[in-house]
Amino acid sequence: MNNVFSFFSDNIEKFSSNPEVMIVVGLIFGILIFATLLFFIWGKINPQANLAELKQRTRSWWMMATIFVAATVFNPIISFVAFGLLSFMALRELASISKNVRDEDRRVLIWCYLAIPVQYFLAYKGWHNLFLTFIPVFMFIWIPFMLILQGTTEGISRSMSVLPTQLMFTVFGISHLAFMLTLPPLEGFNAGGRGLLLFIVFITEMNDVFQFTWGKLLGHIKILPKISPNKTWEGFVGGVVTSAIVGYLLHFLTPLTAIEAMVVSGLIACSGFIGDVVVSAIKRDIGKKDTGDIIPGHGGILDRIDSLAITAPVFFHIVFQMYYLNK
Amino acid sequence: MKRLILSLLYCVLMRGFLKVIVGVVYRNREAIKKVPQFVLVANHNSHLDTMALMSACSPRMIAKTHPIAAGDYFGQSPIRAFFTRFFVNAILIPRSRPKQGEAGPDPIELMSEQLDKGHSLILFPEGSRGEPEKFQKFKRGIGILLDRHPGVHYIPVFMKGLGKSLPKGEALLIPFNSLVVVGDPRKCKSRDIDGIVQEVEAAIRALSVETH
Repeated sequence: MNNVFSFFSDNIEKFSSNPEVMIVVGLIFGILIFATLLFFIWGKINPQANLAELKQRTRSWWMMATIFVAATVFNPIISFVAFGLLSFMALRELASISKNVRDEDRRVLIWCYLAIPVQYFLAYKGWHNLFLTFIPVFMFIWIPFMLILQGTTEGISRSMSVLPTQLMFTVFGISHLAFMLTLPPLEGFNAGGRGLLLFIVFITEMNDVFQFTWGKLLGHIKILPKISPNKTWEGFVGGVVTSAIVGYLLHFLTPLTAIEAMVVSGLIACSGFIGDVVVSAIKRDIGKKDTGDIIPGHGGILDRIDSLAITAPVFFHIVFQMYYLNK
Repeated sequence: MKRLILSLLYCVLMRGFLKVIVGVVYRNREAIKKVPQFVLVANHNSHLDTMALMSACSPRMIAKTHPIAAGDYFGQSPIRAFFTRFFVNAILIPRSRPKQGEAGPDPIELMSEQLDKGHSLILFPEGSRGEPEKFQKFKRGIGILLDRHPGVHYIPVFMKGLGKSLPKGEALLIPFNSLVVVGDPRKCKSRDIDGIVQEVEAAIRALSVETH
């Protein structure tokens, strides 16, 4: 145990470029170049095809991939600040569209915002136990207390559940991405925390793209027609299977064996689906199609990271339990 | 010098702060650059409104753009008046015109003077900050002003969400996503004062419909 924790504190200096990570960074941009060329040529061959949305989405993917790679490959401090900012923007977006919070609660929201730097500081320090308990234990005590200090009780139980849940989703979930960076390399596994981070982000986003693509190509049977009419069983199963295959091929980014990586990737795909439909349901409740309009073609920040907020902790805790805790 | 300070303050620092921290998204901001002189008219819910509109201007225009502020509120103390005049580049005016026989500056004259110089104005025809997402009755001043200067373009702007981030009577800024929708510059078509007021109000309301 002690070994693991001492690793957290001094491994931050040990980040170094390694071939596994570089291969996947190359792969990401390779896919983007391929997609851009594909849509360009497709548009030339068949000018009637309506590719505007796909092209816009691809442009936004270029932007997001560049920011993501720039934020993770260089300095670890930049990564923590970037993920913190991502949490902040996601929380702000969720708080802005949420109608379930009373006007009095705006002053309590400041505590939610302030929790972000604390959570990311704990992640940066690699204080595993505090990192895991800060939001679900300490903030879950603090926020209801701050709410009752506002002096009114009408509708307070709703605020008591909405605010901490928003925090869990946007801050606790996403901060696991940053926390992965503090995980050390193991024997026979060189990619380290960066490899894990790249793996989870790549699998989750590919799963989103594959579920979308398979659904468009083969989709017939709707899976949750009342919540997300575009989701089909064909898209879901196609996404899970494709993600499992991609996970099998990219297992070298993780300490998992190839078979384990395949099973875990299938699980990631399933939990990504859950994150996606949960945010869809929230949007439906509010009556909006997108949570914002900051990313052209995709919508808001939340529309893009809804699945990551769920897959990151799921993946982290599986890998941590299997390879870091008991070794 | 003032132009440099204002450019740095609004086009770099304030714009960055509003976009990254407060979560302001501008729509059609380029429209402001289309005309050399304008009267920006917008709904008013928050002190952030002026900040958001000043930050929407280009560095070229910023020193020549004056928000119109109520003299009784922003001129309370000499220090406050100085800050409002220098750092917000504002023109302080009395809330109403002097009645016949009364002495004192005429707000319309003060605004007219700036337009004669070729400068631009930022004006909130609702007068003071109202409740978020609700329009108050527009004052007639905008009509009188545009009636006197038929050649000056006005630019309608609708802002949503800033009243939630920093409402009237609150000192604590809490970030919420907000939207600033800029309309295209236009000259008023009506020839009478009430018609102009109605026209401007309708233009801002039309932008508010786009945000739903």
